[in-house]
Parts: sequence; C-alpha cells; structure tokens
Amino acid sequence: MNRLLLWRMLQEEVRLNSSFASRRGFWLFPLLVVGAGLLATALAAELTAGIPYREVLLGLHFSFLFYGLFTGGLAFFGSDFLERIFGHYALVTSLPETQPLSYQRVMGIYFCKELLFYALFTFAPLTLGVLLGTSWSFIVPGRMLRLMASLLPSFCAGLAGAFLVASLYRRSLYAAVAGGGTLLLVLGALLAGDGLPQLAWYLDGSPPLPLGWGLALLPALAAALLVGEFHEQALPPVQGYREQYRETLASSEWSRRWAVPAVVAKERLDLQRSRTGIKMVFSFAVPLMMLVFVNWFLDRGLPLEVEFNTIFWGVMVGFFGTMLYSWLNTMDDSSFYATLPLQVPDLVRARLVLFGTVTWWIPVLFMGLIALLSRELRLLPLAIFVMAAVGLYIVSYTAWITGLRTNSSLYDASIFARFFLVSVPPMVLLAILSMALEQALPVVMVALSFTCLVLLLATQLFYGRIEHRWAGEEFD
Amino acid sequence: MRDVSFSIERGDFFGLLGPNGAGKTTLLKVLTGQIRATSGEAEVLGLPVAQQPLEVRSRAGIVPEQSTPPSFLTPREVLELVVAVRGCEVDVEWWLEFFEFEEAEGRICRTLSRGQRQKVMLAAAFIAQPEVLFLDEPFINLDPLVQAKVRDWLGEYVAGGGTVFLNTHMLENAERLCNRAAIIHRGRIRSLIELEQLRSQGTTLEALFHEMVA
Repeated sequence: MNRLLLWRMLQEEVRLNSSFASRRGFWLFPLLVVGAGLLATALAAELTAGIPYREVLLGLHFSFLFYGLFTGGLAFFGSDFLERIFGHYALVTSLPETQPLSYQRVMGIYFCKELLFYALFTFAPLTLGVLLGTSWSFIVPGRMLRLMASLLPSFCAGLAGAFLVASLYRRSLYAAVAGGGTLLLVLGALLAGDGLPQLAWYLDGSPPLPLGWGLALLPALAAALLVGEFHEQALPPVQGYREQYRETLASSEWSRRWAVPAVVAKERLDLQRSRTGIKMVFSFAVPLMMLVFVNWFLDRGLPLEVEFNTIFWGVMVGFFGTMLYSWLNTMDDSSFYATLPLQVPDLVRARLVLFGTVTWWIPVLFMGLIALLSRELRLLPLAIFVMAAVGLYIVSYTAWITGLRTNSSLYDASIFARFFLVSVPPMVLLAILSMALEQALPVVMVALSFTCLVLLLATQLFYGRIEHRWAGEEFD
Repeated sequence: MRDVSFSIERGDFFGLLGPNGAGKTTLLKVLTGQIRATSGEAEVLGLPVAQQPLEVRSRAGIVPEQSTPPSFLTPREVLELVVAVRGCEVDVEWWLEFFEFEEAEGRICRTLSRGQRQKVMLAAAFIAQPEVLFLDEPFINLDPLVQAKVRDWLGEYVAGGGTVFLNTHMLENAERLCNRAAIIHRGRIRSLIELEQLRSQGTTLEALFHEMVA
C-alpha cells in the first residue's frame, strides 16, 4: 500500500508540474541542470580561487540546505496555492479526509516522494553534469560522486526541517516558531562543533554517512508523528463590513487610466483577506537572509573585502519584486472573471497597479531597515529610486511573459531562460556600479541614472505588449 | 467535437443534453468565448464569438460548470463587483433576498457551502438581466426549494423575451423547462428536438435520450 501511494504521488507530481509548464519545458529543466553542473565543475578552479577548501564545502552544504528548505516550503504552501489558483484540487495527500488513512502515514510517504522527486529531477542530472564537467577540471570523478553523496543528506535536512515547521504550524504558530528555533539551535551547535557529519564523512571518511542521513531524517520523522488532524472552523468568521467593497471601489477610481477599478477593488480585498501580505514579507526575508549569508561567506573566504552597500541591496530588493507579483497571482482562482466582459490583460494590469501602489511598502520597509543597519541613510533615496526602476522593469517583464501564471510558467525551461537573460545582465551591471560608488561617485551616479532610465523605458515597452500577448487567453 | 450545427431563436429555452464527457461544457465554452474552436464558426446574438468575445459576454449571463465565486468576497460584494464591471444599475438587495443570503452577510464565499456558492454564481449571472443566459448544470447542489424558485424565475425570464442555453444531464428539469433541445454524444449532435412535438408523439425526453446514447 505504501509503495502504491508513493508511486501515485510521484505520478501526480510529474503530471502536475508538466501541466504547469509545457511538457517540453518541464523535461528541458533537468537538461538545464546538467548544463549548470557541467559549467560549475568546469569553472570550479576559477570560482573558488582564494577561498579555503573547507569554506567552499561548507558553502555548498548550506546552499543545499537552503534549497531543501525552499522546496519544503513550496510543499507547505503547495496545496494552498493550488486551491486558490485552480479552485478545488484533489491530491493524493487529501485522501485521509475520505479514506481510512492517517495523516501521519500520508505525510511520511509525501516526504519520501519529495525526496525521491528532487533526487531524480535535480540531483541525478546535476551529478551527471558534474561528472561530465570533470573532463575539463582538475577534480577526480570519484571525488565528485562522493561530494554529491554527501550533499544529498544536507538537502534532505533542509526539506525535513521545512516539513517539521509545517507540521507544527498545523498545531499552532507558537509550536512552529519553537520548532524552527530548535532546528536553528541544533544547526548552530553542529557548525560550532565538528560541522555536519556528512561533510566530515566526505573529508575524513568518519563518522559514517548514515549518521548524517539519520540526523537529516529525524525532523521528517518528527513531522510525520506530530502532524495534527485538520478540522475546519465550525463557525466561519465574519469578514469586513457591509460597505467595504463599495468604499474600496470608490477609493480605486483613480486607477481607471490603467485598469478596471472594480477589478482593482476586488484584488485589494483579496490581498487583505487572504493575508498574502504576511507571506510576501516572509518571502522577501528568506532570499535576503540568503544574500546576507553569501555576503558573510565572501567576507570570510575571500582575501579582499566585498562590501554590499544600500544601492546594491536596492537592486536585489527590486529584483525580488517578481515575488510580489507572483504572490498576487496566487491569491485566488481567477476563473470567475471569465463570466464577465473582461480579458486576462485587465486582471494583469489590475495586479500591476496593486504591485505599484498597495504592496510598495514591503520593499521600502526592507530598504529602510537595510539603510539603517548599514548606517547609510544618505544613500536611501537613491537606493529607493534604483529599487523602483529595477522592480518596475522586472515585474512588467514578468507580467508580459508569464501573465497570470508566474510560478508555473517559470517551471518552463524556455521561459526561465528568457527571464534569466533579460533580468540578470542589468542586475549585474547595477550591482557592479553600486560597488564602484565610493571610487568614482559622479561617474557612477550618471551611469546609475542612465541605466535606470533605460530600464524605465523598457518597462513602458513591456507594459504596452501585455495587451497583445494575453488578450486572447483563457482565465482558467 | 465534429459536425455540430444548430441555431437557437430569441425567446427559446434550449437544452443541450448529453452524458458525462459528451462535449456539453466544451460547446458552452466555445459559445461564451472561453475557448477557441479549432475550426468552424459560432455566433451569439449575431456576433462572431471568436472575434468579439467581450461583446458577447457583456450581453450574456454565464454560469460555468464547477466554477466558484471569488473566494474572499461576500455574496453582496460579488454582486456589487458584477454590477460595477457591467456598469448596470440594479437592486443588489433584491437578489440577496431572492437567494436568501441574509444569514451569509459578512461571510466570504470560501466559507459557504457548495449550494450557497452556486446560488452566488446564479445571482451573478441573472443580476444584469442579460439577453441570453448560458447555464452549465445550474441546478447541481441546489435544494429542491431553490431549484423550484430558479425554475420559476427562468420561466418568467424567457416569457419576457430572454433566451436560455441550458447544459444538463438532469432530464427532468430539461423536460419541464425547455421548448427545444439537442442530444450530444461523443462530440456530435445526435438529435434536435421540439419538445411539444415529442410530447404529441407520446414519448419522453428520457426515452429518446436512452435510445440515442445507449
């Protein structure tokens, strides 16, 4: 029975993912991973020059731990996403609602499915790419295989940690915070001591690898054991007040030039009542933490000091605007709009209006905090300008190429590649300019302003193409 | 779908009948501009659907199958949204009373029962008094009292010059309401029926349906 459920869940995952993107796009993704592994290995010597070997390995393990946390987080929000975007979506995980199966058992199998899915669709192609890359590198293939074997438990630990927090969150927010805190303490203790067992195994062959696996799997076991039963509220709460929509509509009238005010008002209420704003803040905090970690890693490892100033963070925070737009697309199933005289571009534009007006405080809040902590408040106005230009550029491009299906479209390797090509070069240029700010202030200021101007012009171009690209598309 | 050809007159109550998976919903989606036909043409109220889907939808009321109203709006707010988008002036209160939403005041649609959500969808389609209604299994999840109420309202609507295109496999409702019908099976129209003629022949829609589909 367990094996059958596992197999069905795997089939479901593949079908679900290939329905998000085109089938070709989905199957191209592992190829993209092979290429990334090949390049990383071939360029390993250049990429890690000057960084102590142990630090490189620690960085890799941390990256895979974060990757596990991220994918586990996706699983946590997954059912919520699907229900909101596609209406009611019956998945194998919902079987305990109607069949004599426990949530514990289903969650345990679901974890195994996640591990297997990512092992097959990312680890296996990455290993292949890495092995191919050794032909152009000084690294011995056997050593790389051993490294990949040691990285898998780190990914598993991240995944299991996310599952444990999700499982505790079903019980209460406090339990989730306590569980997450405990995990961080354990991780800190491991790092302060001899480090991760799997890393020690890779370096010295001792302790044995199963110890690393055991520690990684413990949170998953706890997650399955602690998962609570789900009950809907007996008495649904009253939300809002009688005049709320009409008042929101009246205060959205100003947006008529860009969007349909009635749609903007509806989306504003969705944003408020779905509590998507809280998720947006968290989704900003996680990649920023990752960047802080990278900064720390570079500071520790590189002989030269790299200082990320507030302008640099402005570029990054602006780039993360894509996530805000993506969140706006996950608030609710949009099929109802198909019953009205509206088209997909009407909704895309309404969400862009929302991005530019209602959710602006999230990146600005982060920028304020960053400037304050870096003691660079003098750079804040310029950083906010850069952030706004980058944010508008990247979000209008995202809206143009992904429409209402940002998350699922980026699973398509061809769309992802285009997104990468359009977003990364200007980000790199702006990041370099930000780092040169102290060396040649007037020149850099002119260059920054010019680049931002170009980005704003491109924004206008992308925005204008939304109508043509999405006018004939279906809502569902 | 193949060889699908039929026309409906203004004031018709037309039923499209067929077993599950026959192509009823696909046909309705083509007629309301939700999907594009790979070949052929469809016109609604004299408008080509593929070229002018917005114009068709602005003059039609639609209740799709298995569709739900916006999750985070209350029934009142959904109706206010529809009125604002369509730019019509109608009494939202009348429809809230008609579908007995008093007890659902302040509750977002996500927390309503399936039947209540279906009532919101019906109210959202009826409220603008469109020229034509496209209804896909509209009676599903409704209790018998509400079903009777909706049937009566639809009867008055057609008597007042409205046109209804009803997708259903609930033959009893089709027999009671429709003056014309078609049976679709495996993507093809198998029969076009005048209900009065059928009655005069002493047979029933159910008998004909079994004959065509079995």
